[in-house]
Amino acid sequence: MPLLEVREITKVFPGVLANDKVSMTLDAGEIVALLGENGAGKSTLMNVVYGLLSPDGGEVLIEGKPANIHNPRQAIDLGIGMVHQHFMLVEPLTVTENIVLGREPVKYGQVIDLAFARRAVLELSGRYGLKVDPDARVMDLSVGMQQRVEILKALYQGARILILDEPTAVLTPAEVRELFGVVRSLVDEGLAVALITHKLEEVLAIADRVLVMRDGRLVGETRPADTDQAGLARMMVGRDVVLRVARTPGSPGEVVLSVDDLEVDDDRRLPAVKGVSLNVRAGEVVALAGVDGNGQREIVEAITGLRRPKAGSITLRGKDITRATPRQTIAAGVSHVPEDRHRRGLVLEFDIAENMVLGDHRKAPYAHGGIVSTKAVADTARKRVADFDVRTPSIHVLAGALSGGNQQKVVVARELGRDPDLLIAAQPTRGLDVGAIEFVHEQILAERDRGKAVLLVSLELEEVLSIADRILVIYEGLIVHEVLAEEATDEMLGYYMTGGGGSKLSAPVEKGGS
Amino acid sequence: MLSDVLNPDLFASAIRVATPLALAAIGGTICERSGVVNIALEGMMLVGAFFGTAATLALQGTSIGPLAAVWIGLATAVATGALFSLIHAFASIDLRMEQVVSGTALNILALGLTGFLMESFYGHPGSTDAVRETLPQVFNFPVAAAGSGLLGTVWTWINTLLFSHSPIAYMAIAIAVIGQWALYRTRWGVRLRALGEHPRAADTVGINVRRGRYAAVVISGALAGLAGANLALEQVGTFTENMTNGRGFIALAANIFGRWTPVGSYLASLLFGFTDALQIKLQLVSSAIKVPPQFFLMLPYVLTVVVLAGVMGRAVAPAAVGKPYEKE
Repeated sequence: MPLLEVREITKVFPGVLANDKVSMTLDAGEIVALLGENGAGKSTLMNVVYGLLSPDGGEVLIEGKPANIHNPRQAIDLGIGMVHQHFMLVEPLTVTENIVLGREPVKYGQVIDLAFARRAVLELSGRYGLKVDPDARVMDLSVGMQQRVEILKALYQGARILILDEPTAVLTPAEVRELFGVVRSLVDEGLAVALITHKLEEVLAIADRVLVMRDGRLVGETRPADTDQAGLARMMVGRDVVLRVARTPGSPGEVVLSVDDLEVDDDRRLPAVKGVSLNVRAGEVVALAGVDGNGQREIVEAITGLRRPKAGSITLRGKDITRATPRQTIAAGVSHVPEDRHRRGLVLEFDIAENMVLGDHRKAPYAHGGIVSTKAVADTARKRVADFDVRTPSIHVLAGALSGGNQQKVVVARELGRDPDLLIAAQPTRGLDVGAIEFVHEQILAERDRGKAVLLVSLELEEVLSIADRILVIYEGLIVHEVLAEEATDEMLGYYMTGGGGSKLSAPVEKGGS
Repeated sequence: MLSDVLNPDLFASAIRVATPLALAAIGGTICERSGVVNIALEGMMLVGAFFGTAATLALQGTSIGPLAAVWIGLATAVATGALFSLIHAFASIDLRMEQVVSGTALNILALGLTGFLMESFYGHPGSTDAVRETLPQVFNFPVAAAGSGLLGTVWTWINTLLFSHSPIAYMAIAIAVIGQWALYRTRWGVRLRALGEHPRAADTVGINVRRGRYAAVVISGALAGLAGANLALEQVGTFTENMTNGRGFIALAANIFGRWTPVGSYLASLLFGFTDALQIKLQLVSSAIKVPPQFFLMLPYVLTVVVLAGVMGRAVAPAAVGKPYEKE
């Protein structure tokens, strides 16, 4: 009898059939991957199991018994734990407090028995090899560590079924390997794991069984041994997908962007960029590869005028833009696809048309004498929606209502539509599915082939290796390695990204360490 | 002349002035830690002060006597503060109203309501009659117990500073200390902090967000009511229209300056209390040092602005404060 059985679950959102009679099983001791593009209904299905959504039809059974799950509390009581894509952690609280939250051990009725809680956390972390500092505050932990806390939280609550929603989206290669080791040890202990993902190589590396979803329906089931990446991609998208865009070598021309000895502080006024020099030439894609939080964000913000550098200089085609404002930077010919499309790339409460011309809205033809010409805006928006294949019923749909992939297409369409000299693309494919990734990569390469300079910031090695011409590895605010893309390998980049190359501040870490 | 300003009475009066600020500020702390902004502290204080006074005035002539009446007045102030805060809780938690708007409406309502009831209860605006007994001083040690000389001076300082206060002043200190401990060491406290930071995380582990926030708002109302009782029944002895006079807002500032902690709120209130006490003392000598008294009158407010400007950047508010929680 399967530990978890889902029978003909149907879930309807306004206008969308998110789950259409989906059935699946999950046994103790196995890892099942739920594979599908964004919007295929994977997360919806698991949110139903976890009680965050109530289904419009079908039922969930635990050990053969129908389970009436209306809220997460009931799911937890039935032994279901879920690690969400956006962590459900209270940042200022300690690791221990987060893990026991909702089930705090207490004495005298109200006082939290912290000593007992700490012991419980250490015991769990020892048993599954999930090392954490029980007294650290969650806000001070790396993303990978926070994920461990989430897993420990589920285990503390007695999870026998663990749902992981896109667990690797935020991890470094080394952390992914470590996570997979942990997941393997969990199922060895008899847990059942459901892994939601759209990354093909992960599915092949870890899953025992793969369920593929498309448009709210289960479209196939397979085992990693019986398929390969291309096969999975075909099932997932419904057509053949180019996993690595075809590209010709770049033909770099003159220097467009030149950064010299740049030093930038972060929000806490600590040095984040400690003397970085780099240049990007016309017709080349330079990738700045590194684990999140090593100064990439600050470099990008300094170039785009969003943050004032402490020292050093930035020049664009010989023109000094070190202290330029964002408006001057745009005027100088810089386009920016920011890493966080919600906070910086789009105004979610504006419609697509308005978002399509943001930044140029004050200039002709979009405005004359301070009055916006809605017709000119709409004409451009319509053209760009068509050119970039943004899937929307109308250009007057709010940006916030689009899927992540379509939102990103809006941002890319606007930034490329400006015809810049330099394109800065920060994590341009974060959270996108294979179809959309393919599209964005093609656009970036097309831009390069038109003779533009492209600075790509990414922590995805796949991405860096497939579209960059030259790769700079950044670690703790310094460029620690530079290599041509054709000479680079996964292992080499991973090694330097995690400090293997050493830096002026920290001692070299052993290879494979994190 | 220095001893006209720098004397034990200055510090004792700092504590007295700080008491209502601190109580309201701790109320603000608890409320905002749960994720609900409370700018209605001012109104809750005012309503508490009015009904506390009205209850005392109504009961002091009866057989229970004026002293029992004033204690019942105190309880009434706390209860009406809590009751009044339910409006804010309902508007911001259930109706998901903009919390600043709800708070502002409540402040205006409190001012109008107390003014209107003043007229209909007592037939005139302004102030009520004085209550016959205010809340009594807790300790009554003889001032001259240690005689004159150095020992006498030391005793005068200790006695004035520590033992010259009425009950609510001591309650405020106890509430600050116990509140601090509870916020970090009890189940209630951990859950409260979780609610204000990440209500969805709390919800996913089975914590009832609505109930937790209701409780926090009501506690803040009760504390603001107690602050009102302190003003009307302990310090002044009458209710005067708009007698809170912006204290609820200064309390809000004290809560921020105190970084959303009970003890921090108390200490920040003490700083505001001290400048206010100093300002009063300085006014007494202002003619001698040829500075207009208005200058000193301004000091507490200048301090509020300076402190908030200096601290706001670094003090981090609870992440979910002011955001209504909606289940998916």
